[in-house]
Amino acid sequence: MATRPLGVEVPQVSVGLRRPGAWTVLGRFCRKKPLGAIGGFLMVIILLTALFADQLQTHDPIATDAGQSLARPGADHWLGSDHLGRDIYSRVVHGARVSLIVGLASTLMGSVLGGFIGLLSGYIGGNTDLLTQRVMDILQGLPLLVLALVMSAALGPSIPNVVLAISIPIIPRAARVIRASVLSIREMQYVEAARAVGLRHLRIAFRHILPNTIGPFIVLCTAQLGSAILVEAALSFLGLGVPEPYPSWGRMLSVSAAEYAQKAPWLVLFPGLAISLAVFGSNLLGDALRDTLDPRLRGA
Amino acid sequence: MKTYIAQRLGIGLLTLLGMSIVIFGMLRLAPGDIVDILFSTGGYVNPVERVAIEKELGLDRPVWVQYLEWMRQILTGDLGKSYRYDLPAWEIIRPLIPVTLELAVLSLIVSVALGVPLGVISAVRQDTPLDYALRVFSLAGLSMPSFWLGMVIILGLVAWIGWIPPVTYVSPSENFWLHAVQFALPSLAVGYRSSALIMRITRSSLLEVMREDYIRTARAKGQSGSVVIWRHALQNAILPVVTVIGIEFAFLIGGLVVTETVFNLPGLARFLVEAILWRDYPIVQNLVMFIAIVVIVSNLVVDMLYGFLDPRVRYGH
Amino acid sequence: MTRSRCMLLVPVLALAILVGLGVTPAAAQTPKSGGHLNIMLREDLSPGFAVHESSTISTSFPSMPCFNNLVVFDQLKRAETPENIVGELAEKWSWQDNYRNLVFFLRKNVKWHDGQAFTSKDVKFTFDMLREAPEATAKLRINPRKDWYANIEAVEAADPSTVVFRLKRPQPGLLNMLASGYTPIYAAHVNPATYRTACIGTGPFKVKEWRKGEFVDYVKNPDYFMKGRPYLDSLRYVIIKERGTRVAALQSGQLDVSFPGETTKTAAEQLKKAVPQLVITPVAQAVSDNIIMNTKKAPFDNPKVRQAVSYAIDRRGLIQAVHQGGAVPGASMQPKPYGVWGLLEKDLAVLPGYGKPADMKARARKLLGEAGISAQNPLRVEMATRAIAIYVDMASFVINELKQVGIEASLKQVETAQWHAMATRGDYQIGANLTGLGVDEPDANYYENYACGSPRNYSQYCSELVMKMIDQQSQELNPQKRLQMLATLQRQIEEEAARPILDWKLDYFTFWPYVKGLVPHDNIYNFGRMADVWRDK
Repeated sequence: MATRPLGVEVPQVSVGLRRPGAWTVLGRFCRKKPLGAIGGFLMVIILLTALFADQLQTHDPIATDAGQSLARPGADHWLGSDHLGRDIYSRVVHGARVSLIVGLASTLMGSVLGGFIGLLSGYIGGNTDLLTQRVMDILQGLPLLVLALVMSAALGPSIPNVVLAISIPIIPRAARVIRASVLSIREMQYVEAARAVGLRHLRIAFRHILPNTIGPFIVLCTAQLGSAILVEAALSFLGLGVPEPYPSWGRMLSVSAAEYAQKAPWLVLFPGLAISLAVFGSNLLGDALRDTLDPRLRGA
Repeated sequence: MKTYIAQRLGIGLLTLLGMSIVIFGMLRLAPGDIVDILFSTGGYVNPVERVAIEKELGLDRPVWVQYLEWMRQILTGDLGKSYRYDLPAWEIIRPLIPVTLELAVLSLIVSVALGVPLGVISAVRQDTPLDYALRVFSLAGLSMPSFWLGMVIILGLVAWIGWIPPVTYVSPSENFWLHAVQFALPSLAVGYRSSALIMRITRSSLLEVMREDYIRTARAKGQSGSVVIWRHALQNAILPVVTVIGIEFAFLIGGLVVTETVFNLPGLARFLVEAILWRDYPIVQNLVMFIAIVVIVSNLVVDMLYGFLDPRVRYGH
Repeated sequence: MTRSRCMLLVPVLALAILVGLGVTPAAAQTPKSGGHLNIMLREDLSPGFAVHESSTISTSFPSMPCFNNLVVFDQLKRAETPENIVGELAEKWSWQDNYRNLVFFLRKNVKWHDGQAFTSKDVKFTFDMLREAPEATAKLRINPRKDWYANIEAVEAADPSTVVFRLKRPQPGLLNMLASGYTPIYAAHVNPATYRTACIGTGPFKVKEWRKGEFVDYVKNPDYFMKGRPYLDSLRYVIIKERGTRVAALQSGQLDVSFPGETTKTAAEQLKKAVPQLVITPVAQAVSDNIIMNTKKAPFDNPKVRQAVSYAIDRRGLIQAVHQGGAVPGASMQPKPYGVWGLLEKDLAVLPGYGKPADMKARARKLLGEAGISAQNPLRVEMATRAIAIYVDMASFVINELKQVGIEASLKQVETAQWHAMATRGDYQIGANLTGLGVDEPDANYYENYACGSPRNYSQYCSELVMKMIDQQSQELNPQKRLQMLATLQRQIEEEAARPILDWKLDYFTFWPYVKGLVPHDNIYNFGRMADVWRDK
């Protein structure tokens, strides 16, 4: 924590004190926020799984094998196999790739765009803010899944379309969070001080306000990542998400899984666990990051 | 205050107008229309018959004419006819509203009843094992796909006790307890999920407030811990929570889509998905507008409370 | 007792036990009146009860209790043979003039659900509308089975109880088509559009309520022409879209009867394990998995390439992999013993895709080699299929098979809304398809799916020779000769490989043991009248 001169609150980032080394920061983070560390660890595992899916798999995820239909988890199929004999473990591993790509891409796209809009809208204020907020309201007026559904139906099932469909509902949500954050920072004394000193608006926006929205932005991203993964799963479950042959955790849970669930509960268990762990990890991490990056700067 | 409300309502109307254009456009973007689907239930396509049906349904008119026609219908209170069922849209939608509303309200109640107390406890006992346990519990709910939770519940029930909640809607007048059971499980499933966000926000805003100078001052002055929390902290912490509840309501409707499907409840959300797949324009358009109105109104209420409670961020400043 | 006396006792005891267990034909049990049944539906009716405007079992099955046909396949017998056709609205019928005229003597004192009397006028009205006769007084918005009635010259209703179908040429198969669940009689005094929202029929049950997306409620028709029927008081067809919930509902007893074509072999095993007393009857569905190939565009305009595709797909492998054994191999007509006209096993064995997989694939590669395709120069195509799990599973298997002979197919999922339009337009190269046959009648099948210019001939396949053979068998009066003609026709069609048939699916129709008098047929479209069904508890 930086020391604060009386009466003026100077955020740590802008002051530019000597920064501790990266590993020390990490170590401190792990000790202070063990839950966050676990979350981060989970995300790293999933990221690595996604990156090295081809190396980690034991079978070809799309190869069918009639003789191995609904095999129990065992030496041959670590997590069992589905009704077509496809290896669940390999499909889960590849599903990580799909879920992460879709989740990250849509989250980043939506959050960056939305955050930018929120930053400008919140800072400029006035009629621009009004208008932008209305447009955001239009996009946000629909629940995430519904909008993604309509878009997915409109665009057709393919990975880029799913990314687009999920990122668009994220824009207004990101804008809203960043805007709220900007609004509360804007009123803070140091900003008023900066204005009094005569700094140009753009400079204020980018030098002073933006760095302080990074905290909420990161938190927003990790929260939206969880949402994005869940929406992708729901879309795939409803049949409108990532199409064959890409294994998708959500699609693994649709039709056949429910039908054979009593004979082969692993069909339902493992993909669902995978989704839950991924979202769980991102949420834990997000929580911890929020706590660390000085909750004072968090927007609503 | 009055001008404020009038302003917001006016803007709300503009928003609705914008949304109507967006939804209208997106629907027609989607490849395939009701005629294609009708033919697909017939198993073939006949171009001559197609033209006739398009004419009958008014789909042959230019797009902007159809849009104006829709607007005109709404203004006269006519919600149009369902392409799929050939019946007035209102007649079909009306019985669905109470189901979804009940589910949404029950879920919201569960989420607040679960989320706020857990959030408070968690904040007060920050960084203790209890805090961690509660946060893990709460986050688990947020992380699980709602359809997965529903599926696991139903399949678990049938596997272990050979019983599942009723698959056809039981109204409270028919059989109150059966109705209660039918709605209890899905509300709990959806509510558990929503509670996570509320718990999280309650916790973090309470934490933030607790660090504020004036709280420390109050403490230094000697006011007892719990008084400080309940009187000062919670008052200010409620603000973002209220915002989130408003956001949650819209968020809920998304979760209701899969929940209503899995638990087979005849609600708006499930019907909306069906209508989208069937390109039943009148139903989708009107349902979406209905949801939008609900969301806008709840946003308005929340924003008003927000502006009311936090003088720093009053609207229009 | 001495040993010999003991030995005598055994068969006597056995017989006593058997009799005691009541292992006598179901018909010997006395049906009880009253009771209600909950029947599974997997999606809402579309469009409503307008059977003549749809080709889906989601409309035909739940509409069966409302309607009657002129004639129908005996609801209590599983096999749909010409011998098992019984009269409903027709008491007697006879072919005249060498199968050129079909005369029906109609039942008297039959009432529509709204009280009006049923007469020959209703029959004439229905069939004039179906064949789009110039004198028809009503028109269907969509008419998928117009081809079934293309051979009818005129329908005469000389007096209120007699109807004569005058045909352009002899067609013994017409009677089969009239017996299908897809051929109910509409009321002449009702606008056909009404059937999309309500149902006025003469059937054993009246529609009480159709709550959209939820259920259809039926109540007993007290004026049903068959005295003493129906036995049940009411029916409810419950709509459950989510598969897991459907299965759970059946298992927990909230549903009494499953949906035709819904239960796979593995699901049936699971159900039986959980609830051993469930009655499971494996029957054929009259639904086939097949591959459609656009014969008007490269590369599938080359018959060698098409044949290669057919050779490459191991039929028995597919049955095992995709259906876990819950299907049977066959050509374009449902195979025996499920169908009347299908090829026997020994005839199938020589067709593409039925022999040893390795040999078959080698032949496929050879054929492709002659067309210039090999592993070094693979053929890349897009395989279209509907975005539904059963289609996708089958398509995935086929893609795998094709990969092994040098055809690289990528899967393209098409939403239902666009599938038929795409297929009819010929906007595809190769596709994985399911075809349901409304009745086990070659005329219905071939004119619909293989005739030149038919909208459902998705392969745009047109062969003069095959058309001649189709017309020939349609007019053949001697069943034995017709059977032989059909054997040749089926072989010819499979050789030309415009639409290779992969398998015919089985349904493991399931219901609770207290449901009596419900006999599934080897065709999902033609049973379910529910007049003879009763509850034993």
